[in-house]
Amino acid sequence: MSKDKEILDSIADKEYEHGFVTEVEQEFIPKGLNEDIIRLISAKKQEPEWMLEFRLEAFRRWQKMTLPTWAHLDIPEIDFQDIIYYAAPKKAEDRPKEIDPELEKTFDKLGIPLHERKALAGVAVDAVFDSVSVTTTFRSALAEKGIIFCSFSEAVREHPDLIRKYLASVVPVGDNFYAALNSAVFSDGSFVYIPKGVRCPMELSSYFRINAAGTGQFERTLIVADEGSYVSYMEGCTAPMRDENQLHAAVVEIIVEKDAEVKYSTVQNWYPGDAEGKGGIFNFVTKRGICKGAGSHLSWTQVETGSAITWKYPSTILKGDNSSSEFYSVAVTNNMQQADTGTKMIHIGKNTRSRIVSKGISAGRSQNSYRGLVKMLPGADNARNFSQCDSLLIGDKCGAHTFPYIENANKTAVVEHEATTSKISEDQLFYCNQRGIGPEEAVGLIVNGYAREVLSKLPMEFAVEAQKLLQVSLEGSVG
Amino acid sequence: MTEVIIVQEGQLVRSVEVQRDQRTDMVLLVMPGVSCDIRLDLRLSGEGAEANVYGAYVCGGEEKVKISVDMHHDVPHCNSRQLFKGIAGGASKVDFYGKIIVAKDAQRTEAYQENHNILLSDGAKVDTKPQLEIYADDVKCSHGATIGRLNEEEQFYMRSRGISLEDAKVLQMISFIAPVLENIEDETEREAVASKFEDAIRNIVKNTLC
Repeated sequence: MSKDKEILDSIADKEYEHGFVTEVEQEFIPKGLNEDIIRLISAKKQEPEWMLEFRLEAFRRWQKMTLPTWAHLDIPEIDFQDIIYYAAPKKAEDRPKEIDPELEKTFDKLGIPLHERKALAGVAVDAVFDSVSVTTTFRSALAEKGIIFCSFSEAVREHPDLIRKYLASVVPVGDNFYAALNSAVFSDGSFVYIPKGVRCPMELSSYFRINAAGTGQFERTLIVADEGSYVSYMEGCTAPMRDENQLHAAVVEIIVEKDAEVKYSTVQNWYPGDAEGKGGIFNFVTKRGICKGAGSHLSWTQVETGSAITWKYPSTILKGDNSSSEFYSVAVTNNMQQADTGTKMIHIGKNTRSRIVSKGISAGRSQNSYRGLVKMLPGADNARNFSQCDSLLIGDKCGAHTFPYIENANKTAVVEHEATTSKISEDQLFYCNQRGIGPEEAVGLIVNGYAREVLSKLPMEFAVEAQKLLQVSLEGSVG
Repeated sequence: MTEVIIVQEGQLVRSVEVQRDQRTDMVLLVMPGVSCDIRLDLRLSGEGAEANVYGAYVCGGEEKVKISVDMHHDVPHCNSRQLFKGIAGGASKVDFYGKIIVAKDAQRTEAYQENHNILLSDGAKVDTKPQLEIYADDVKCSHGATIGRLNEEEQFYMRSRGISLEDAKVLQMISFIAPVLENIEDETEREAVASKFEDAIRNIVKNTLC
């Protein structure tokens, strides 16, 4: 019961709790985007020539591309010249070793265990603040096992061979508009390499925060799990409350070699804008993994509660025979939020299996869409997919949509898709009310039950946070 | 009265508006050898309206069957049901697209859609895009789509009882599309259609050695 009380209390203090701004001295580059800006970003990060070439090539391709318009989203026009593409806390010299006390406070407020004193939490963290990775913890403990976990820019300097081998191997430079933009201007992110046969002893985690006004955040994450290895990776994000829209366009690439397993979890809580839809983050993200080797496994779990607009489709290419992938998602939209999210499962190898469980919850005047592709290529003998997409509507001004695309070109492959849309029934609410549970709490209870299948897949550290988030996001939507 | 449409080669475009307390029922049948492009647009525009659309298609050669259904629920208290079942063999290509659109004030809507397919050969391809676009909250809507193969355990069961593999397959396919044919009200017509489909299915099984 005490946990319920705590949850109730957290509902009471309402609104977006991560909306504070940290006063740190920031270093900006001028607004706008052109080749000089890209050269400047590259120079600031002291990158080798090949990295700059990679960026310029991406930029040239991006210039020729047009904005994707197929999503069920109403996106206001974005002026890409009105964005600052690089902002970093000053004091560059001592950055990785010592964190600015103000920054530390920020991460404390967010409840991120940056210091070894929280060793018990067993989570290694890479924190990305605006454009740079501020600190990475537990480096030495991980290094003993041969695991590389560092900021992306560091990886470019210290492990260029690995980066060159894997970068853009899953999400090509010209994959889509936002991926190309990210490839041109990405500032930092995380790099993870798990060597052959190593089981990563702790959860790895990245925390992203947009702090500065007028900036965009473009981080890049690359995870490589070599043969027979295992890693669980978590990602979280927050941003201050601002009246303007800020752009977040990340790229995540995951490579899973033979018999390796990667578990990737996200709790996305970017600022969603106020009740009238003013401000908020535009979250346009490309996430894709490849099950490259036989018997490999990739699992995506996401809890999406934030962002004014979400455009995100974590996907898996099942190339290795007997490989498998899962996608578990809860997407909550309230007020004026819009989400178009889902997954793609591309079956290439034999006996590949995938499972999709998506739970959408729309409230207020929001629009929530599931969009997914399941594709069985001719060689995908005995491949199997099961998809379940449920939508829950709270209130009569919101919308819930389901757009699955199912393609099968193999006679032995089996695909099943099932979707339902409904609202919380009066009976369920009545039952709770009758037993002294108030309407708001009852909705929380029912929603948590509805999303349980997904929440139970989250690592412990995230599960509690996610449950609370669901409550906070939906508060005010009943009655 | 249920309308039975034997779909001919080419395009078939149909727009139907269902008024208050009216009901429309339709059974679409696509026989082997027919390539077609079916476009249905149904609009439930008066309270209490009901629409039921059923379809069966069997392809064994190089047919291209395209089916597109838009089901608009414009007002409250309407019901709709769609059931499409099909078999794709040879080098045929099936494209199914079905959308249920529930307008903002169309409360107490019940709308269901199902599309099930069986792939018989590697040369055949089925794409299905069932879609739900819902703007009202007091609704019960669902869709289901599957693409699969003939169940081997069922075949084994029949063979162990002396039914040849060929006959077993024919039986499986007939029973697969039967839920669609059941909606033909006139018994003589239903039996005539069923025997036509049976012949067609037997032919496909014979010729493709699937």
